Amino acid sequence: MFDMRFRHFITGLVLTAIPIQFAMATHVVPDSISVELHFKPDVENGERVYEICASCHLPDGWGNRDGVYPQLAGQHATVLMQQLLDIREGRRDNPAMYPFVQERSIGGYQNLADVVAYISTLPMTPFNGRGKWGIASPKYALGEQIFAEKCAVCHGERAEGNSTAKYPRLQGQHYAYLIQQARLITSHQRIVNPAMTTAITSLDAIETAAVMNYISRIRVPEEDLHEQGQ
Amino acid sequence: MSNSMKRREFLKLGGASTVAAGVSFSPLASAQSDAPHVPMLASQISQPALLPAAKGPRVVVVGGGWSGLTMAKYLKRNFRDFDVVLVEKNAGFVSCPLSNLWLADQIDLEFLTHSYYDAAKNHNYFFLNATVIGADRESRELYTDQGLIHYDYLVLAPGIDYDYEKIGVEDPEQAQQIQMHYPGGFKGISEFLSIKRKIHAFKGGNFLMTVPSGNYRCMAAPYERACMVAAVFKKRGIHARVLLLDMNPEIRIKRDGFERAWERYYSDIIQYESSTEISSVDPESKMVETDFDEFPFDDAIIYPPIRASRLIETLDIMSPTSPQKEANIDPFKYNVIGDERVYVTGDSRSQPFSKSGNTASSEAKYVAELIAAHAQGKEIDWRSPQTMCFSGVKIDPVESMSIISSYKFNEAEKRFQFDRVHPIENWSARSGQAGFAWAEGMYKDMFYT
Repeated sequence: MFDMRFRHFITGLVLTAIPIQFAMATHVVPDSISVELHFKPDVENGERVYEICASCHLPDGWGNRDGVYPQLAGQHATVLMQQLLDIREGRRDNPAMYPFVQERSIGGYQNLADVVAYISTLPMTPFNGRGKWGIASPKYALGEQIFAEKCAVCHGERAEGNSTAKYPRLQGQHYAYLIQQARLITSHQRIVNPAMTTAITSLDAIETAAVMNYISRIRVPEEDLHEQGQ
Repeated sequence: MSNSMKRREFLKLGGASTVAAGVSFSPLASAQSDAPHVPMLASQISQPALLPAAKGPRVVVVGGGWSGLTMAKYLKRNFRDFDVVLVEKNAGFVSCPLSNLWLADQIDLEFLTHSYYDAAKNHNYFFLNATVIGADRESRELYTDQGLIHYDYLVLAPGIDYDYEKIGVEDPEQAQQIQMHYPGGFKGISEFLSIKRKIHAFKGGNFLMTVPSGNYRCMAAPYERACMVAAVFKKRGIHARVLLLDMNPEIRIKRDGFERAWERYYSDIIQYESSTEISSVDPESKMVETDFDEFPFDDAIIYPPIRASRLIETLDIMSPTSPQKEANIDPFKYNVIGDERVYVTGDSRSQPFSKSGNTASSEAKYVAELIAAHAQGKEIDWRSPQTMCFSGVKIDPVESMSIISSYKFNEAEKRFQFDRVHPIENWSARSGQAGFAWAEGMYKDMFYT
């Protein structure tokens, strides 16, 4: 379930007769009109749509530990949908993914809903890429402290994210991917909400590494993990 | 500045010939005019080019291809103070990527052509339609046929030139003949138009195409082009054979996919010959010779091996160890060795990355950030360019395969290698559409948004 902003621009109306212009002036034409659409996801179709995604994000949706491709498994469907739409519209710059999420290649909203639903059925990797500082180290403790102060308020105590607010689940994500996204946000190459930008830019390189290290080491609930890890 | 840098080594006007002309005029030149040409030329190029005064550190980008266009935009985006000038010798842009699909009438020429003015206007830089002649790296001046430009940083992205010598053609006149009659189709619109015309006018017989050895521009393109040409011949119903002579021992990329596609759709048209060491090309008798065979043809597309743009050699920044005469640059920072103000990117680079539009564009985003950081006394970490390439195997509608890959540096062997190779060799109409969307996204990025 998701909502879609439907922008309806009234343009191209050539009005030459003055009385009509006056008449128009008394009406307020909205800049945009929002429409919320609902789709019933078809997981089987989603699995077919996912074939192209799988060539990078891998069939299990686990991405790469080196952070080139994120883990998609376990992510909130609302977050996945938002990212698909942002990349499709160019709001999130991702030249490698852009071609594959256009309407002409992946299809319409139904297909997006289906693929997101399919991804949400995938269990997460028990072996996500983690930062190098173990639980007893001072850097781990620093990361934990920063997380509690700056991150937990939106992303949740266990970095589980927030489906309704579309805050991503960070738990279980690859460390290298988290670091890379931090870099994109601080260099304004990935535009996110201002609170997020402020939080991440307030950290220096060591603090960023420490907090991402901590996040990458937060335990994912066992029921969300692939069984080989249990 | 390093003293290894050559003093006053500029004005190497197209190599030795023009320098020699300063000493003795050719008979033709002196017969036509008494006026001394060289002093006139020298005074013309030492006049400043018609550009607004620089309002910040001036970065001159040479070459308006996929690297230069992306570079100009992202330099400005990464550091607002930069005053960016894009110098390009062509008046307009024609995309080499996707031109194979245009050969087979799957898109129109408008899809491929774009305006440098739009790019410059939308991204806040200047476009100068000029040809580079030389540079003085000590005084940081670039010489063009439209006058000189002072630079704070110089980025050279001049692309490639053909290397006909590697297929046994040493006489420049014969190389000209081959390029004119059987152009390779990887350098500019005249080649594209010529090739399209010949494919659509072909009456039948042997249509010969070559795949070069070495690190040539767009690894998959010659194989894709075989598909497109075969598809056109099939559609036109002519009795023709596409003879694809590969100088490599096997198909270089997406091998499984291309083999299956040829088998499935073009087994009656495409004849593939691997490991063909071409020793000579005779445009008159229409014959390609290898060490063991002779291949007569009725028409041809001769794609010879390539080298870095001659500009790299002219500016005397060629790597002594590069077999393709590529630039002598730091493999991670892209600056000419010993000169932190001059950078070389795109297909003239010496790293063994794929010479393709996506690679060049993704690389340019990194190098633009790197130069912006340098100008502000900062440093950034190296990151890999990304290669992404779609290959059409079937038309009406286009069905394509694709591959995405990045690179990593193998510390033990001290060389770059492919990393994270993700091929999609099951061609589909959906991938075909993704290919169009890829190109649209790239044009949008380089020209419009």
